[in-house]
Amino acid sequence: MSQDKRASLAEAASLVRDGDVVALQNMATQLAPMAVVRELVRQQRRNLGIVGLVAGIPVDWMSAAGVMDRFIGGAVSMEQFGLCQRYRKGVEAGAIRVEELSETALNSRLGAAARNLPFLPTRGMIGTQLIDMDPDNLRLIEDPFGGRPIVACRALVPDVAIVHAHRADRAGNVQLEPTAEWPDLGIMPKAARRVIVTVEEIVDSSLLRRRPDRTVLPGFVVDAVVEVPFGAHPTSCFPFYGYDTALHLAWVKAARDDDATEAFLDRYVREPADQAAYLRAVGGATTMLALQRWEHA
Amino acid sequence: MSAPTTSTPASAPAAADAGRPAEDWTVDELMITRLAACFVDGDQACNGMASFIPVSAFMLARLTHAPELVWLASAVGLDPRPERVPASTLEAPLWRDSVMYMEQFGDFWNYALNGRWLQKFCVGAAQLDRFGNANNSFIGTDYHAPKVRLPGTVGMGDMGSIGKLLYYWNPNHNPRSLVEKVDFVSCAGYLGGGTEREDLGLVGGPQLVVTDLCVMDFEPVTKHLRLQSVHPGVTVEQVQAATGFELVLPEGEVPVTAAPTAEQVRLIREVIDPDGMRKRELGKR
Repeated sequence: MSQDKRASLAEAASLVRDGDVVALQNMATQLAPMAVVRELVRQQRRNLGIVGLVAGIPVDWMSAAGVMDRFIGGAVSMEQFGLCQRYRKGVEAGAIRVEELSETALNSRLGAAARNLPFLPTRGMIGTQLIDMDPDNLRLIEDPFGGRPIVACRALVPDVAIVHAHRADRAGNVQLEPTAEWPDLGIMPKAARRVIVTVEEIVDSSLLRRRPDRTVLPGFVVDAVVEVPFGAHPTSCFPFYGYDTALHLAWVKAARDDDATEAFLDRYVREPADQAAYLRAVGGATTMLALQRWEHA
Repeated sequence: MSAPTTSTPASAPAAADAGRPAEDWTVDELMITRLAACFVDGDQACNGMASFIPVSAFMLARLTHAPELVWLASAVGLDPRPERVPASTLEAPLWRDSVMYMEQFGDFWNYALNGRWLQKFCVGAAQLDRFGNANNSFIGTDYHAPKVRLPGTVGMGDMGSIGKLLYYWNPNHNPRSLVEKVDFVSCAGYLGGGTEREDLGLVGGPQLVVTDLCVMDFEPVTKHLRLQSVHPGVTVEQVQAATGFELVLPEGEVPVTAAPTAEQVRLIREVIDPDGMRKRELGKR
């Protein structure tokens, strides 16, 4: 596997086109591919449908910047930092459409896509109104073998999946440190047409060979791999660094006001030309050292 | 009885003393001790997001009456040993020192959906109705034009339908959160009551609701929420005034929820949650 998948952030983000359905890794305050998200805002991508299990600050930034007009997934929340207010306003104003799915429904829809099936069933959601809201994608069907009805969850093929991880080689083989493995990395890249991976560091393959059991994604599914140190900031990347409490709180405050929201996006999202400039804007080495010690977490 | 005997083991008076009701306790501590009593040795329990009171309850149960309670922190970390309740119940400090990180897509749901394991979940909801249906999706009448968009249901949308025993906690008991009928059923309870849930082939379901005013269970035939006990100092009238539907009362006098013991309060304050994270859930009435 000698193919070189290395790309710049701008090149990687160009794999996302206006109107695409984008599967975005994120679990509340954890592990979102934030450098690509900021690049999508800078490039003024429009009408994206974001697929997520529990999406947090990236969805709020993309809602505020007018990048997304659909959310397909489980929940949008920054956990201890509360609801994503810009997303919420967008939904309440009719600018963002929600297709809410239970966790097993999302897993089934992506799982069906990965396996090239029309649908996969779940026993979740029976008795809820979630099924009624999405008849194009969720249907209560008879068990062909005579058991109780089950919910068919139609395959969801994202145009692009974007994930962040600890390390990869230049061929895009992705390796994790021992950590919580959320379903995102487990299924999104296998369901999507194109795959962008950002990593804390790109290393020589010889390093991956020492722990092949920690390699979780083969390079042959990856289209672009980008080295972005602190690429998940302000979300966490266990065990390397914690979430940034101060920046989350600054965003929560700014998001209450239109002008403050724009000023925040200018300062932290639009103006920093690259990752180094972004890290300087959010406090530089002092902040990063504190996050590496998991202070305030 | 002349002189105090010296033959009594030194620990006995201390243990008896620790078991006495605490003179000084707060309602978050009472909610923790009441929830902790729902979990016994051999149970397997999971917590979700912003679940400081359930996490404190699991930790308390493991330190006291249920050392063999299996806790899967955030559905990720098996048998963790966090130093204390951290600032997030969905971040790595909670699953410190786990014996296993459970992969989510392929692994966790195999155990959760199977029916043999992970039977008890503590859940919270923006709205809970008189038949135990929950809503975390939206407030209003139109799904696509909501008055308020709530975060979403995620795993709860499954847990209500796959036979789990659900324990609701609500630290802000008010008529907007305990309603006659939810605006939207995003987690199945007893639906329209009676046998409706059973008729759909669903087993398990909501068991108990612990709020900052009272404890409620479900009347076995109608499946209507029923007052089980009021917290010390709270009247039935206060609970009724804070509830959006007519309460069903137990037969006879309404019991008073047991106050935490001195030892439980000490463990919560000094060992489990010295930073007081549990109090972040209160005060939104």
